[in-house]
Amino acid sequence: MGGSGRPPNPPLAARGAPAEPWRPSTRLRDIRLAYLLLSPAVLLLLTVLAYPLGWEVWTSLTDLSPLKSGAAEFVGLENYRRFLADPEFWRAATVTLAYAAVTTFAKMGLGVAFALLLARPFRGRALVFLAIFLPWAYPASVSVIGWYWTLNPPISTAYSLVMGNVKYAVDSVLGGGAWSFLSVTLFNIWRGSSFIGVFLLAGINAVPPELFECAVLESKSAWRRFWLVTVPLLKPFLALAIFLSLTTAFADLANVWLLTGGRIVYPVIGTHAYWLAIRGGQFGPASALSLMLVPFLLAVLVLLFRAFDPPERERA
Amino acid sequence: MNPRPWWKTLGHGGLLLVATVYCLFPIYFMLVQSLKTAQEDVFGNPLIVVHPTFENFAELFEQAGRPRGFVGNVLRRSYPFLDWLENTIVVFTGSVAVTLVTGLLAGYALGRLRPPGFRWWRRVIFATYVIPHTILFVPLYQVVIRLHLDDNLLALVLVYPTLALPFCVWILSAYFQQLPREVEEAALVEGAGRLTAFFRIILPMSRPVVVAAGIFTLGTIASDFTLASVFLLDAHNQTIPAGLATTDVALDELLAVAGINLMAIPIVLICAIFARGYVRGLTAAMVEGA
Repeated sequence: MGGSGRPPNPPLAARGAPAEPWRPSTRLRDIRLAYLLLSPAVLLLLTVLAYPLGWEVWTSLTDLSPLKSGAAEFVGLENYRRFLADPEFWRAATVTLAYAAVTTFAKMGLGVAFALLLARPFRGRALVFLAIFLPWAYPASVSVIGWYWTLNPPISTAYSLVMGNVKYAVDSVLGGGAWSFLSVTLFNIWRGSSFIGVFLLAGINAVPPELFECAVLESKSAWRRFWLVTVPLLKPFLALAIFLSLTTAFADLANVWLLTGGRIVYPVIGTHAYWLAIRGGQFGPASALSLMLVPFLLAVLVLLFRAFDPPERERA
Repeated sequence: MNPRPWWKTLGHGGLLLVATVYCLFPIYFMLVQSLKTAQEDVFGNPLIVVHPTFENFAELFEQAGRPRGFVGNVLRRSYPFLDWLENTIVVFTGSVAVTLVTGLLAGYALGRLRPPGFRWWRRVIFATYVIPHTILFVPLYQVVIRLHLDDNLLALVLVYPTLALPFCVWILSAYFQQLPREVEEAALVEGAGRLTAFFRIILPMSRPVVVAAGIFTLGTIASDFTLASVFLLDAHNQTIPAGLATTDVALDELLAVAGINLMAIPIVLICAIFARGYVRGLTAAMVEGA
């Protein structure tokens, strides 16, 4: 399935081809054409994201609130400063990071396991591949509803009693709302590991099988082989997967959490910001709060770009 | 010929079985639910369905607007499911088309024409993923109203592509960048324009990557439900996820589950059909080049 180990060797001669010295006029025309072709995508992103982002940044510096009469006042970095001094914020930040770390770790582990399981051809591989692909392909917008009503069933179904007991057992140990939080985590891992498994399988397909065979001769320990051969070869895939997993952990959470309707026992930055804005009408602090994750994600992204930027081939 | 000892084969098989069950169980569970009568839902075994029925599915398509009777003394509404279905098809087709066209154009520009700083263009486009979406819909709604698109399906066709576009631009441009120049050159030398070369040579070559981008887009937009329920207010204007979120699940649990399956089945089928191309496209985009 999926490429079935097609030898991925482009002719070496093609790789080393030096950049063609185009005539300057052609080059200039190319550049103009490039900007023209780029414009729809950039315009789309600007229309949808630029104003909202600007609004969010500006609002985070004011005390904008629909509950307040009069214009919003500029308060500078006050909103940010208040949060940094607030232990509740630090608690939410810790939970958020822990959530992102735990789900990413679990998703990567399961994803790598799926990809390795499917790496070699065997009978029925296509079917197992499809099974692993399904949790991601099944639209999350609706499977979330299904998961929620499965884990927190309405009173009238046959399994309500069992799930209810599980819920109360978990909640009584970890505090109210823990089970909802756990179910969000489980859902995120279930769906994410599927995406990452398929994504990494695409990476493994690109590795020439000879390389793995050589590795078997080099070292007897499968564990060492994994870290010394498989991981470096899959680096761009792993890096991109980690980044996408982190962003979905931060972004997706709010949506799913709203759906579970849980009380905020385990506050997360996303839900905290949502409640502040929608229920509390405090747009200023809410904007500041949701922007606080950006530097962190940006730092991760800059670190990872190095790993998954397409390699330069046509430069001498 | 098989050098692997029997216990390894068995272990591999066992792990495969565990993985399959883990992935499929929730989906199976939802499917079984949707085939049950209310009777069986309450008293039957939750894991199997003894008397499968399609009445929940049929009920979804019943005439909208007529109440469907009472549970206790609570009125059960009916829902314009056909409208939702139609809206969903329009929105998803439109969004995937917009994403692919803009993504292909941008990918070609960055990977092939390489304006100065193309690497940074690509990185900046990709970096839009760090923008937190939590309360972004508040200002986004202002944009939508300014464009007179509130309660209009076009709002989603405009917003959805931005969820998937950065990734699509990334893989498409990475693929185009790694295609050797000679691929196009022959055509260009013979006097064909860039346009002909693109449609005749580049596009057919990059089919798996386009499939990968399309499937990624479909999977991404199909998972949204917040934006849909924020932007589409009128019951007849909603997509399935937004509509289902308004159903009274405590009363209509079986109906909701049937709706979930009706939405999921076509998408899952499309993904399954293109699954092979999806994997090949991702491989091609990230490493393989030509």
